[in-house]
Amino acid sequence: MTNMATETAVQRIVQRAEARYQANHHALLAETDRLFAWLLAGQWVFGIAVALFLSPHAWEGRARTVHVHVWAAVLLGGALSGLPIALAILRPGWVVTRHVIAASQMLWSALLIHLSGGRIETHFHVFGSLGILAGYRDWRVLGTATSMVVADHLIRGLLWPESVYGIVNPEWWRFLEHAFWVVFAVSFLVVLSVRSLREMRALAERGAELEALSESEWRTSSVLDREPEPVRAAAV
Amino acid sequence: MFAGLAWAVAVAVGFTQLYRYKAEPAGQKAAPARWPKDSGLRRSPDRATLLLFAHPGCPCTRASLSELARLMTREAVRVAAQVVVVEPRITPASWTDSAALRERAASIPGVAVVRDEDGLEAARFNAGVSGFVVLYDARGSRLFSGGITPSRGHEGDSFGRRRIRAALEGRAPDLDTSPVYGCALALRDDGHHAAMDHEGASP
Repeated sequence: MTNMATETAVQRIVQRAEARYQANHHALLAETDRLFAWLLAGQWVFGIAVALFLSPHAWEGRARTVHVHVWAAVLLGGALSGLPIALAILRPGWVVTRHVIAASQMLWSALLIHLSGGRIETHFHVFGSLGILAGYRDWRVLGTATSMVVADHLIRGLLWPESVYGIVNPEWWRFLEHAFWVVFAVSFLVVLSVRSLREMRALAERGAELEALSESEWRTSSVLDREPEPVRAAAV
Repeated sequence: MFAGLAWAVAVAVGFTQLYRYKAEPAGQKAAPARWPKDSGLRRSPDRATLLLFAHPGCPCTRASLSELARLMTREAVRVAAQVVVVEPRITPASWTDSAALRERAASIPGVAVVRDEDGLEAARFNAGVSGFVVLYDARGSRLFSGGITPSRGHEGDSFGRRRIRAALEGRAPDLDTSPVYGCALALRDDGHHAAMDHEGASP
């Protein structure tokens, strides 16, 4: 094969590898969007169930009304889940979709913590959500999620500190301690995400090479099939 | 773009309303400086006595009971505690939530559960909000009156819990009161409401 033919063949493989990688990557993103659509819908139902079970009514003496938590679960929870679910259905794989999902998922942590009355156990939802968001293998999405947690802690730490830290009179830097643990978890998730994408790319390249090889063999065997059998000289 | 902005605004407004509700205390006067002479509740002669007034249906009081349980884990030797469940003499059929709170209170070691019909005892102690805690020493002098949660229905450290601990340990607390977060206690039949400041009162 001439140098030019080799270069052309290599370029073709590279292009094919990129196309395979992009297709696989998009499929992964769209599938993760759909996963989150189900999760966000499930969280909405769960949030309403928690509110109805733990705090269905507020009381004014003998009279009762629907508790604010129930309204928060239905309306605020519905808003939190509504837009991300719509985007996941209408625009799966779009970059905005996964960032909206990341923001919404972390805000769901905040809402569930309030609906459960500040239980420590509910805080685990934050770290569980970060792990699931790593399924996008996109470090920017984890950045969005981390920013939401930090912003929430910063704002509430200034306005309602007891609701965030479980102590009165927190030091001004307290939010950094909470942020540290989030950053700690996210750092490793980012490393694993980048590694996973690298492996996806390597797999796409290998797939493209195999495709090219198999095509080449097919062409060769087709040529051989069409050429007549060489005539053997009769034995003298 | 517009949809995204509208969504962000709606979510921000929703959370702001939720946080404001959680952080707004109910209006509540202080308990009397001395143990009311006409009270039928038992005061311990050799330890401090703590009373927690509870509306049996109030979900915020669950957090108060959790905080009481934490307090009693360390201070059971120093204090005799009672949860005073305030309910009408004839409990309405709609009051289906009351058993759970009573059971929760009864499960806390060192805590006795007492029923206050029509809020007569609550009126004596100026209790108008569920979760209101009063602490008296062995001689009947008030040491503290207020709430023991940091916000509505939220567990966690609070000024109230710190001040009660300080008082029980013989240290002078900075204040002898703290905000109370909870539902209004049940009214008596004549419409009397135990010493509540109705401005700012909220369920």
